[in-house]
Amino acid sequence: MKFLPLAHALASRQDLPVPAWLFAWGASIVLVVSFFALAAGWRSPRFERLHERPLGAVVSRVLLGLPAQVLCGAIGVFLLGLAVYAGLEGTEAPDRNFALTFLFVTCWLGFPFFSAIFGDLFRPFNPWRAIGRVAGTGFRAIAGQRAAHAPYPERLGRWPAAIGLLAVVWLEVVYGKGGVGFDPHTVAVATLLYSTYTLAMMAVFGTEEWCERGEVFSVYFGMFGRLGIFGTRDGRLERRRPFSAATTWATIPGSAAVVIASISSTSFDGGQEGAFKDGIENLTDWIEGLGFSLTTSLRLSGTVFMLLVFAGVGLIYLLGVRGMRTVPGAPSFAKLRVGFAHTLIPIALAYLVAHYFSFFVFQEQAQFTFLLSDPLGTGTTDLFGTAASGVDYTVLTANTIWYVQVGALLAGHVIGLMLAHDRALVYWPDYRNATASQYWMLAVMVAFTCFGLYLLSVANG
Amino acid sequence: MKNAMKLTVAVLALVAALALVACGSSDSGTTSGTATETSGAESGKPAGKGADVPTIEVRNGEPVGGVQTLEFSAGEEVRFRVSSDEAEEIHVHGYDIAKDVPAGGTIEFDFPAELEGIYEAELEGQGVQIAELRINP
Repeated sequence: MKFLPLAHALASRQDLPVPAWLFAWGASIVLVVSFFALAAGWRSPRFERLHERPLGAVVSRVLLGLPAQVLCGAIGVFLLGLAVYAGLEGTEAPDRNFALTFLFVTCWLGFPFFSAIFGDLFRPFNPWRAIGRVAGTGFRAIAGQRAAHAPYPERLGRWPAAIGLLAVVWLEVVYGKGGVGFDPHTVAVATLLYSTYTLAMMAVFGTEEWCERGEVFSVYFGMFGRLGIFGTRDGRLERRRPFSAATTWATIPGSAAVVIASISSTSFDGGQEGAFKDGIENLTDWIEGLGFSLTTSLRLSGTVFMLLVFAGVGLIYLLGVRGMRTVPGAPSFAKLRVGFAHTLIPIALAYLVAHYFSFFVFQEQAQFTFLLSDPLGTGTTDLFGTAASGVDYTVLTANTIWYVQVGALLAGHVIGLMLAHDRALVYWPDYRNATASQYWMLAVMVAFTCFGLYLLSVANG
Repeated sequence: MKNAMKLTVAVLALVAALALVACGSSDSGTTSGTATETSGAESGKPAGKGADVPTIEVRNGEPVGGVQTLEFSAGEEVRFRVSSDEAEEIHVHGYDIAKDVPAGGTIEFDFPAELEGIYEAELEGQGVQIAELRINP
């Protein structure tokens, strides 16, 4: 039986599982840190306000002005076009084609990693937003009035983005299993389909409205951008306290589903060759026994497990929220469910770093050497003279990777706890009740962090 | 009351941690056990200094006995043989070393384990994995 998840198709290298002793140390530190956090928690919220400091007017004018907006939008549209073109016209070898590495490594991992530090970096480069804005401007010029948009159904919230996120990951890690593989042509066609859908939705609901709620990549990358230190308001660039912009992120319905989809899809991919391997294989065999082809069986079992992990992660969160209801003076379940969703963003980021950090570092070498010089992978172009270069796997040792993985999970755990503690102080004026409510979130965080460590320790087992 | 609650939570958490640690180590135990077993059953002992060189037998484009895991430590020599009933190109990913094996012939790989991690050895023509090389630090 041949599995071909994305990381395989591109890198043909996998991380060694985290050794048992490091797993034990990691889990122990998680608990010690958690109880220290409970004992030493501050008494007034620290991250609930942005503490923003505007940057100089000149910097804002240069970076946010119309020329910069047009330039960034054009870069975004050009790169999307290049990826689609490479996918359609270039080699079918996944690792030699610009499309796969650019879309699924450089963008899909790069935007979360860097946005989490610097703030939302995708928004200015978002190719669909750029096209939508140009179309809107064109419409105004011709029709002499703004395009009329349908009101976005409030209750739908970010659910389209959450479902879209699962669909993207499904294409990335489930669809390509079995004989067919995950080829550049499929990805290019999927990108074109997604572009059509997105532009249609923007026409119906308005460009900015759809980017805020329904457009998968804007919502997903923007979520991580809320952890970062830069943001904009009224055309001014400003510095913010780290993580503070996350506190207002989840007010749109369905946001919790987005962050849970992120955690669960990373878990699924991290575990499909380790922790869930046997389960997936058994289910595949069973489905195959019903008379389905191997490819269909692999896809069905992968889909079932992906949804199971999504449900499991969601359930752990909801149980924790339900537990908080038992604390005197608790707000409604609905309010708590929305109110603590943002505390999972650091966990989602930690999972991403833990599972894809080494993959990202190695594959970006390919991106900026041979894939840049020979985007189609046909061996006929050498734009920057780097077509013959390869990936240097010695830049990260196994030990470095392990420490980054465990360190990321610990950092995510601590930041998640801080944000949850802060939010509890807002909801419970009585400090003792606030602390009591946090036993529940602590349990949720410990569960996610130890589950993350567990996935790493049995990876590729 | 508050202290009692804290204590309860602490005890529960500690138990959970111990359970997790125990679970984690037993899991990794099983893993390495299976790995040694597979390579042991099919090809003698895993390669080490002076040990027998493991051989992967390929028949009809499939590794006999399934994909084997060969473990090495960084710094030592990665040594293994591949025998095949058909002519093929054997490719070790990451290290990017490729060798041709003639029909009915055997070739030997012997190179220093410089890169840590898990790498695949493949039948390049058919894209079939025949072995997994684990280079431990």
